[in-house]
Amino acid sequence: MRTAYRWGILFLCAVALVFALGIVVGEATDRWLFGGAMIGGLLIAYSFVLLLLRKMGLVGPRKAER
Amino acid sequence: MNVAADRPGRYGRMMTSVLRGTLRLDVLINRIYPTDFNPLYYTGGLSNLFLLILVLSGVFLFFYYVPSLGGAYDSIDYITQRVPYGDIIRGIHRYAADGFIVAVLLHLFRNWFTDRYLFSRDNPWISGMILLLFAGFIGVTGYQLVWDDRAVALTTMFAAMLQSIPAIGPLLVRLFLGGTGVSDETLVRILMLHIFPASTLYLFLWWHYTRIRHPKIWPPAVWVLFCVGLVFLLAGLIPATSTGAAAPAVRPTTLPLDVFFLWPFALLNVMPPGAVVVLLVVLFVLGLAIPYISRREAPPQMGVRHAGVAQVIDGNCTGCELCYYDCPYNAIIMVPSPAPGLSKAAQNRTLLAVVIESRCVECGICIGACPFEALELPKFLERDIRAQVTDALRPAEAVRS
Amino acid sequence: MKVVGFVCDWSVDLHPLLDGRRLRGVEGVHIVRVPCSGFVRPAWVEDALTAGADGVFITGCPYGDCLNREGNFLMRDRIDALQRRLQRRRIDPARMTMLAYGLHDGDAFVADVRAFVDRLAEKKAAAGTP
Repeated sequence: MRTAYRWGILFLCAVALVFALGIVVGEATDRWLFGGAMIGGLLIAYSFVLLLLRKMGLVGPRKAER
Repeated sequence: MNVAADRPGRYGRMMTSVLRGTLRLDVLINRIYPTDFNPLYYTGGLSNLFLLILVLSGVFLFFYYVPSLGGAYDSIDYITQRVPYGDIIRGIHRYAADGFIVAVLLHLFRNWFTDRYLFSRDNPWISGMILLLFAGFIGVTGYQLVWDDRAVALTTMFAAMLQSIPAIGPLLVRLFLGGTGVSDETLVRILMLHIFPASTLYLFLWWHYTRIRHPKIWPPAVWVLFCVGLVFLLAGLIPATSTGAAAPAVRPTTLPLDVFFLWPFALLNVMPPGAVVVLLVVLFVLGLAIPYISRREAPPQMGVRHAGVAQVIDGNCTGCELCYYDCPYNAIIMVPSPAPGLSKAAQNRTLLAVVIESRCVECGICIGACPFEALELPKFLERDIRAQVTDALRPAEAVRS
Repeated sequence: MKVVGFVCDWSVDLHPLLDGRRLRGVEGVHIVRVPCSGFVRPAWVEDALTAGADGVFITGCPYGDCLNREGNFLMRDRIDALQRRLQRRRIDPARMTMLAYGLHDGDAFVADVRAFVDRLAEKKAAAGTP
């Protein structure tokens, strides 16, 4: 299971990198709608990276819930 | 309705199965998300997040908006076409509004179906209903501010609904329109009706939080990222657009209507304005009444969960403040002690705990917090617990053949 | 084997699981229903452990879903403090535990209680043999 999560995080980071480049492209070509959609995709990818990190156990719940 | 006190009536049984269904959804989501990331536990925080997004994007839009019949549409056009990322911010404003209503409705239904309105929790409920009502008005006026032909139609329909109110209808229409017909005055008033309720939302939120200790007003980071990302993504993929510019000669026959805010106007297709107004008022009043009429369980069925308002045993209280810190509903206050207590530990106290009975929800958390046996639930005393434990630990009786 | 469980009445659905006050499916477990997991006084837990209970467990709602919002967190903190106190009194802190289950988690709850009781039984057997 851990390897599945690890691949998932790597994949999402790669996707996030593509989105980040997309933000730069959108800004450079003044395509604001495209840039905004790229920002959105980046943030959503980050949220899933955080979720996977949590499921891997690398970030934890607060002390009261252990 | 059932007469027997220990069997729930039909309404109680229906609400219990709704409760079970709601919690079954939790089980599903808890398989994917750990419980401290479950969005259904943070519906209030999600609503607050969307509200903040709305306020920030709204301030941005406000700087460019021109509230006049001639200028409104063009100013929105200017924002969308000429201001860098203006189209994104406009889209964010629209989709965050829909997200806000979705989160608020999830919040409403979850708290209704899981009994989280009992006792003093009617305060957050009532303030929440008022928040919902204001949010509805803010959303409708938001669609009207754009002054496209949908906005013109909405304004006409809204005036018709106001007109249908008995006695004060025509007065309300005159106040709303700023005269006898639609003019620049009207748009200024609609802008006021958009921004002023929006600023009072935080006042009602203060009331909404005031009976709660540590209210969960912000969702976990995973959901902040997801929701902000979602509104950006939607704004980019499905740009928010106005319908055609308002022109006297153009009479559109169908209009795209946002289901969350504009459903009463869709109802006007099948009901007269007066009936829609009555329906809205009835829904609102029923909603306000839920904490008082929606009883899933009668008191006998609640058993230990309805064990009476917490009582301070004055003789034992040492003023240690542990119950005061632990009460989730701010129902305990510390007052200067009028006289020393009876027990040795309570002799030198300076403070005394007092339970504000109207705020107590009979949960018993203060009883667990008190190390000095100075709090009890009247129908479930410490000695009842100890009796149950002693009973449990009794040596097993010989089996009778 | 004598185990006492303080179970929050809002958490796991006890109706199909109880036989009077005994838990069905696990030998020797008696349940005390409480209005919130935060209602439990640590003194009751300590006294139960010294009065003949082999183990005590407290069950509350899933973390984040306490009907009274903070009850299970507060109880968790009290349990942590009680663990240290039990250590000082030379009582094995593993004889006490806190569980978190929701309305539909009856099976998982019973399985967890069974595992707890089995662990206690092992310890008791291990301590009993010279």
